Amino acid sequence: MHIRSGSGRSLLAAALSAAFLLGSALSAFAAGEREAASSANDYQGTTITVVGLDRPSYAAAQKLTPQFEQQTGIKVNWAIYPYESTLKEETLNFVSQSQQFDVILTDVVWPGVFGQADWVVPVRHFLDNTALTKPDFDMSDFIPIWLKAFTWGDKLLGIPFDSYSGLLYYNKAMLRDAGFSGPPKTWDDLLNVYAPRLTDRAKGVYAFALQSRRGETQSCDAFARFLWPWGGEFLDPATFQPEVTSASAKAGIEFRQKLLQYMPDGIVNDDHGEVVQLLAQGKVAMITEWSSFYATLVDPSQSKIVNDLGVTTEPAGPSGAVPAFGGFAYMVSSQIPEKLQNASWLFIQWLTSKEMAKPLIENGAVVARISADGDPANQAQYPYLAPMVDSWKTTTDIFRPRFPEWPQLSEITSNWGTQIELGQVTVDQGLQNISDEFKKVLGDAGYYSGTKPKIE
Amino acid sequence: MSRQRRTLVPWLFILPGFGFLLLVGLYPLVFTFVTSFERYHLDTIYLGTPFVGFDNYIDSLRSSLFIGAMLRTGFFVLVALPVEMVLGLGIAFLLDRPRNDGLRAFTRVILVLPIATTPVVVGLFGALIFNTQFGVVNYLVGLAGIRPVDWLGSPTLAMVSVFALQVWQWTPFVALVMLATLATIPVEMEDAFFLESNSWLKRLRHIRLPYLIPGLTAAAIFQTAYMIKLFDMIYTLTRGGPGESTDLISLQMERLSFRAFDAGQAAAESVIMLVVTLVLSQLYIRFFYREPEA
Repeated sequence: MHIRSGSGRSLLAAALSAAFLLGSALSAFAAGEREAASSANDYQGTTITVVGLDRPSYAAAQKLTPQFEQQTGIKVNWAIYPYESTLKEETLNFVSQSQQFDVILTDVVWPGVFGQADWVVPVRHFLDNTALTKPDFDMSDFIPIWLKAFTWGDKLLGIPFDSYSGLLYYNKAMLRDAGFSGPPKTWDDLLNVYAPRLTDRAKGVYAFALQSRRGETQSCDAFARFLWPWGGEFLDPATFQPEVTSASAKAGIEFRQKLLQYMPDGIVNDDHGEVVQLLAQGKVAMITEWSSFYATLVDPSQSKIVNDLGVTTEPAGPSGAVPAFGGFAYMVSSQIPEKLQNASWLFIQWLTSKEMAKPLIENGAVVARISADGDPANQAQYPYLAPMVDSWKTTTDIFRPRFPEWPQLSEITSNWGTQIELGQVTVDQGLQNISDEFKKVLGDAGYYSGTKPKIE
Repeated sequence: MSRQRRTLVPWLFILPGFGFLLLVGLYPLVFTFVTSFERYHLDTIYLGTPFVGFDNYIDSLRSSLFIGAMLRTGFFVLVALPVEMVLGLGIAFLLDRPRNDGLRAFTRVILVLPIATTPVVVGLFGALIFNTQFGVVNYLVGLAGIRPVDWLGSPTLAMVSVFALQVWQWTPFVALVMLATLATIPVEMEDAFFLESNSWLKRLRHIRLPYLIPGLTAAAIFQTAYMIKLFDMIYTLTRGGPGESTDLISLQMERLSFRAFDAGQAAAESVIMLVVTLVLSQLYIRFFYREPEA
């Protein structure tokens, strides 16, 4: 009896406790909602400026922004730039302290630039503020590699948005006509089996196109893509000594040279837009491009292969599949007044929320929310989602280093990378030049003397 | 009003304009000069901008990118400038004193159009015109039975494309300057010449050239300076590529300053280019400029 009554009391106590906890949680949630809503009202009439790119995700975000403006009364100005100008514009904004931008866009390779200079407010500052952050803004729902990618030191600096993986897009009809039932699984197959049968120079059709234009396109899309799957890397993570002259790196870049014969002439001058159009117009059979370009390739006004478009993970190299990793996040400027910082956070929170993930995807954006990208219904409707999520499992967050010196290393890589591709220098000479120039930049920065910690 | 005050008044009137000129003209120049002696990295400016002596100048002169861009720019000027001059002069002679005044006015408007077009737009149009798959140039080449040419993907042809657009846009400027200069030649002098000779060459050499040379020198100085700082058209056409084949000096400096964020070395390169431009201008004036004899 004692046990039963004790048990009954325990059960009652447990039930009461549970009811209390649930009640507390609900009231806290409701309070949080009210606080978040009331705090949003506090910013009515505030105007914030958000940096964006001329890419599909930002077009989707702009389209949906009136919802946020209606909910909060915060006016959003979009400052749209081509990718190549964005870091310049943002850096000048900070250096001149012009407070031109409130919501800062960071590429996956820029957190070191912004973080080391303390130009942005760490995300924790806002997450800890229950008056600003909704309880259901579920940070655990973001793909982990993306949170890691935007962490500098031990501080998360931005919330992922417009998150990519490199994918293999292909023209199903061209592959079928050449006798293939599916896309290549390895780079070796792509070069030796698929490419010869898919290339007909007389007809002006080619197996593959690789965006190679000088700049970040060359250093990431055309160079790093052929390092990692061959076991190469830019730097030794422990010593920061360049690794681009290793046998693995050399094998990857030599493979790229062999692949050139199956690409259109002048590919060294082509950027993302050009190779996407080569596939969209049926001139090439395959491209490896960011997941964000799916929206372009299924847009009938821009693509002739909407019904023949296939998409899968990038081919694997001798060291396995290491697809290109790239994308962006939104951060809050530390140089603006607190009121604008809070309004900026409200915008970032809204844009990257679970609720907005589906509408954004429907409008052509790519997001890094597990609940949206991993949803079977979404994956059935948007075939790029499953390979994108799979790619994030096998790639590396240091596909390109993220320290402040990366822009300089990127320039060096893209200069010699394009010269290698054009045959103006040999693979050996080009890689040696990259290595020598890397050493000078990293040495000047203090990584070898020990004055600067080796954070990649 | 005392004499001293009367002397002061004109200076007071020109003071605002002089001050404005100092602000917009001299300040950036001095700032660039000072920056060229500093380690001035935009992305790590919080670490300070220490004085580094001539390091930026030494690094510039040792940089294969800077030397390559300098040589490329020099080559570009050496080829494009004479072509612009000869074509501009030819057009000016053709349009000089035509019988039909209406046609003359019309052609002058046509000549102004390329100059009035924004260089960015010229570059964008160029990218369409020289496009391998869809460009009008390859369409015309195709009519002659020739396979599509990869104008912007080949290092040599990309430079040819840049050169063609530069000549297209700025030859009319030379032509207009020459037309204006031709109008300054006294009619009596030419009439007197015709009493002695009908030779076109002799007329050019003895009557017209002395009057044309100041205009030609001015056009040459202007065009040389323009080509040295040519940026926007190439940026939108090739962005300096493929590789570094159309990477003229201004693109190299922009890349160094705003992509690698090394504003110190970029400032040093700017100062070097300023000196080169000044020396070239002096050389033009010394060797080519002659005032026509009265």
